Amino acid sequence: MKLDARRIGLSLLAPVLALVVAFVITSLILLLAGDPVAEVWSTLLREPRPRTVVNILNGAVVYYLSAIAVAIGFRMNLFNIGVEGQYRIAAFCAAVVAAQGYLPGFLNILLGLATAMVAGGLWAGIAGYLKVKRGVSEVISTIMLNAIATSLVAWLLTKARDTSAGSGSNVTNTKAIPQSSQLDGFALVPGASNKVYTLLVLAVLVGVLYWFVLGKTRFGFDLRAAGQSETAAVASGVKVPRMVLTTMILSGAVAGLVGMPLLFGQDHNYGTTFQPGLGFAGIGIALLGRNNPIGIGIGALLWSYLDQQSNSLQITAGVAPELVFIIQGVIVLAVVIAYELVRRLSVRLEQSKVARELASPSAPTPEGATA
Amino acid sequence: MANKDITFSVAKGTIHALVGENGAGKSTLMKILYGVQRADEGTIAIDGVVKTFKSPSDAIAAGVGMVFQHFMLADNLTVLENVVLGAEKRHGIGDGARERIRAISTEYGLGIDPDELVADLGVGARQRVEILKVLYRGAQVLILDEPTAVLVPQEVDELFDNLKALTREGLTILFISHKLDEVLSVADDITVIRRGTTVATVDPATVNSRQLAELMVGSELPTPQTEESTVTDRAVLAVEHLVLSARTGTRRVLDDLSFTIHAGEVLGIAGVEGNGQAELVEVIMGMREPSAGKVFLQGTDISDWDVREIREAQVGYIPEDRHRHGLLLEAPLWENRILGHQTQRPNVKGPLIDAAGAKTDTTRIVEDYDVRTPSIFVTAGSLSGGNQQKLIIGREMAHDPKVLVASHPTRGVDVGAQASIWSHLKRARREGLAVLLISADLEELIGLSDTIRVILRGRLSDPFDPDTVTAEQLGAAMTGAGAGAAGAVGTAGTAGDAAPDPEATR
Amino acid sequence: MNRSLKVAAAVSVASIALAACGSNSSGDTPSAGAGGSAAGSAGGNVKVGMAYDVGGRGDQSFNDSAAAGLDKAKSELGVAVKESTASAGEAESAREERLQQLIEAGYNNIVAVGFAYAPSVAKVAKDNPEVKFALIDSTDAKGANIQNVVFSEQEGSYLAGVVAAKKSKTHHIGFVGGVQTDLIKKFEAGYTAGAKATDPSIKVDVKYLTQPPDFSGFGDPAKGKTAAEGMLSSGADIVYHASGGSGAGVFTAVKAKPGAWAIGVDSDQAKTAAANVRDIILTSVVKRVDVGVFEFIKQDKEGTFKSGEAVYDLKSNGVELATTGNHIGDLKAELDKVKADIIAGTIVVPSK
Repeated sequence: MKLDARRIGLSLLAPVLALVVAFVITSLILLLAGDPVAEVWSTLLREPRPRTVVNILNGAVVYYLSAIAVAIGFRMNLFNIGVEGQYRIAAFCAAVVAAQGYLPGFLNILLGLATAMVAGGLWAGIAGYLKVKRGVSEVISTIMLNAIATSLVAWLLTKARDTSAGSGSNVTNTKAIPQSSQLDGFALVPGASNKVYTLLVLAVLVGVLYWFVLGKTRFGFDLRAAGQSETAAVASGVKVPRMVLTTMILSGAVAGLVGMPLLFGQDHNYGTTFQPGLGFAGIGIALLGRNNPIGIGIGALLWSYLDQQSNSLQITAGVAPELVFIIQGVIVLAVVIAYELVRRLSVRLEQSKVARELASPSAPTPEGATA
Repeated sequence: MANKDITFSVAKGTIHALVGENGAGKSTLMKILYGVQRADEGTIAIDGVVKTFKSPSDAIAAGVGMVFQHFMLADNLTVLENVVLGAEKRHGIGDGARERIRAISTEYGLGIDPDELVADLGVGARQRVEILKVLYRGAQVLILDEPTAVLVPQEVDELFDNLKALTREGLTILFISHKLDEVLSVADDITVIRRGTTVATVDPATVNSRQLAELMVGSELPTPQTEESTVTDRAVLAVEHLVLSARTGTRRVLDDLSFTIHAGEVLGIAGVEGNGQAELVEVIMGMREPSAGKVFLQGTDISDWDVREIREAQVGYIPEDRHRHGLLLEAPLWENRILGHQTQRPNVKGPLIDAAGAKTDTTRIVEDYDVRTPSIFVTAGSLSGGNQQKLIIGREMAHDPKVLVASHPTRGVDVGAQASIWSHLKRARREGLAVLLISADLEELIGLSDTIRVILRGRLSDPFDPDTVTAEQLGAAMTGAGAGAAGAVGTAGTAGDAAPDPEATR
Repeated sequence: MNRSLKVAAAVSVASIALAACGSNSSGDTPSAGAGGSAAGSAGGNVKVGMAYDVGGRGDQSFNDSAAAGLDKAKSELGVAVKESTASAGEAESAREERLQQLIEAGYNNIVAVGFAYAPSVAKVAKDNPEVKFALIDSTDAKGANIQNVVFSEQEGSYLAGVVAAKKSKTHHIGFVGGVQTDLIKKFEAGYTAGAKATDPSIKVDVKYLTQPPDFSGFGDPAKGKTAAEGMLSSGADIVYHASGGSGAGVFTAVKAKPGAWAIGVDSDQAKTAAANVRDIILTSVVKRVDVGVFEFIKQDKEGTFKSGEAVYDLKSNGVELATTGNHIGDLKAELDKVKADIIAGTIVVPSK
């Protein structure tokens, strides 16, 4: 199909344009700061070592889940900034429940995942409820809930902390999950001493479900319709308030999974070293991937790649690793701008295409109406 | 290429009408003339001088002004503030500007007070503010896009008087309209566009509206003539003592409405916009709960059903604003075919979307209803208004409705599409459909309805017989000036000066 | 969709910017590292890889103190050095990666500044038994090639509490902690105990800037300023901070209130803080991280490396009060007595 070829071309144009713009802007910043431009890029773009490849994959797994959680909200024009708080609450709850070892090995992991989804979903559901019943913008409420989640978890952590480590320890964490529920990982990358999170499988599964539910089901259609035009959705019989609540809970449930690869594959407990900031990164990545499950995958890999490569910036190029934050930020801005430009272009192209085809003599006559 | 080889010239001091089907290229031509879009080839000359417009500001500088169909006014600002907005450099924003506005208003008889709040103005007055805005910017050539679409007959006459006054002062007017009778009555010359080219420029004195319409469509067309009555005694949709209070306050937006529509009957509702039509439709479709009263579908009380249940009970819906309520503009046509019927075959199989089924049926609708589109994969937003509307009607008819709630089904639609929509409505009526037709087009109401009632401030008038009623009588009832309106609470002046109901224009 | 896109972009960029601000002070780090490599040959095979915590060199506090030790080692021992700083909110693997890269670049004596490095040090030390590690402020990672450099912060803080109680005119003092961890709670515990022992009726306001796992409280001057302003406006006139880079904000707030004092932490902040706030710094609880770092490097150089805990307390002068500006000269006798009592065990300082 010709149209599809062009559509693919157009959809590739935007990210490429964005990356080029980000490259140019970052180079300018480096020049202004008097940093070695060539060395920075050669450091950043150097082929990663096997160990780093594993780290990139692991980082991307977590980012992917976070971005999908954000994207679910985006598809219905809801802006769930609260992934940050949702995954923390969820990871804490899952860590506490899984550490009890109520169920053996694998089942215990499933219990942990379910706990996380319920916790994340309920936490996000608060914002959904406030929006539906009180008209509170989900942007505001989820930001507030992030702050509450942070403090709540910190307080609960003091109650649920693992005291077996003895005093004098600086790190506060929950009891470790049983050995039988700790996931070792896949040795996917040859030559690497570390392993890829087993819950890579979970990320893939979530991606497939996201694609299927939103694209192929009636529920997904209702959700997208409500996102594209609330008024049209109402007129078509979608109960928008209920859809808002459902979407928030779904988004929160997926957000709850964000910390799971870390919990079962790396930290084995929830504590002070549990990685923060994943929810915010998810927003940028969802934008980068245009809410498309594959696009988000690519975005997550890119994000994680930059994260990992930033480490050698100081050591090799002598530039602060914060430069990577700048690059990431510039990419997000460039992507949003590039997509808007490309969207306008494609709308123009489509309109003129429709007009052109209609102007051709083969167009049907207006009198074909009698059935 | 939306346009190819458009040629016409407009003489100074005349009203030149431009008519054509929707999608014929009028909007594109407008955009080119106003500098929004650029022509690939060809020239625009004003007073014999060739001009290139890179942006609307170039067009304004060259003395071309545009009055859009949808007013671009800020309600909570005064006329003065609206007029000077973006043109602060001309006469400042204070007394200089105020004097200038008064002078223009007097010169052309527009009757505008610069210090009035736009929110307090009626539709006709708002349109005159739009015209004043353009004149204030020094326009010598005025382009008016469907200026009468929002006006009642009396206001149309006033507008035409204003336009004639403008041409007497040497201004040139390019007038775009679907309403051929109006075009014939006001224009000095008429240019017809079809499929992106100028077909003919005719003298209004030598053609009638039927000939003009045939020029536009390129073939003969039907008229909305009531056929043999098909009204049965089987009540399909009944509304009893329906009351709807405003969201804020106790004012009644719908005030004790009762009517019954039988199978094969078209009930036409006339009225100036904002008198409760939109709310009536929302209540019937289940989008709002009535404060009191009941709605029955074939004897079943559906007052507390939700939209989806009502839709599934085969109530078809052609919304007033297809962009807001009828379509997902960014979604392809086949997904729009699903919209509103997400639970019905052929769109779904169980909980899953049946894309193949929906696509097949979209193709059928595109053929049967003459939706002009290169494919069913283009976005709904890229179609012209008429084709969007045909898609909606095809979609609603595909589910064998018992009742069709049609709000302004031919608004913003060209005569070709209008004729085909009318014929579909008539066919459905013959087949026993009950139709609630809400329209601002009195000719359409008279031509299609079995009964016409006028809605004014949420109350219905006694029925009018479409065979005997005239547009003027209806117009009088709509503004509350006539004796025929049951709900007429006497107020002087035209409807255009009555503040529109904010609830309805939401 | 468009609305959320735009808001999303804005928030996403803002959050990135915040993350960057939280740790921006490390930008000027590398020049020292580059200079150090040149002198490296003199140090034989001792090459020191320094992994700072969030904030890095220039935080006027904890990391700076470590940097002072490194600089001393560089000039006195002639070792080669390489520095690298953590970013706020980075993945656990990033810390490991940092240590690993330093080792791969040939730096075989690693100083990991801050307890957040404990899990990474545990892993990387196991994989690289030939490399020696100093883990500052943590005993969570143990190993034959790991030296745990720890300090009795509560003892120094106790002295600060005594000073604050003596100097406060309003009998109302404050404590600003960076992140609510057990480590920072040690500061709070000692400070409060010292103050209450001196003036039982004194009121102590306590505020932690962030909760774990959010470590931005160590690098966010705006938060520090807000917290200190709150205490000052409710009547406190002396604020002690243990909040790393956020302390700059605490000083700014104290400077704005006439008669109020700040107590610095980790390094002698009356010398290291921004010039315009130095005069309001009453004293600083100096944690001789520099001594710890220098000793570790010196041991490596001399081949006397010892694994396990190396405790720096009052007795070993690992913690002390700074006397710059001589604002506490009048209390010298009293402080010496308290110090002697602590060393002797007559006063038992709580650590939580």
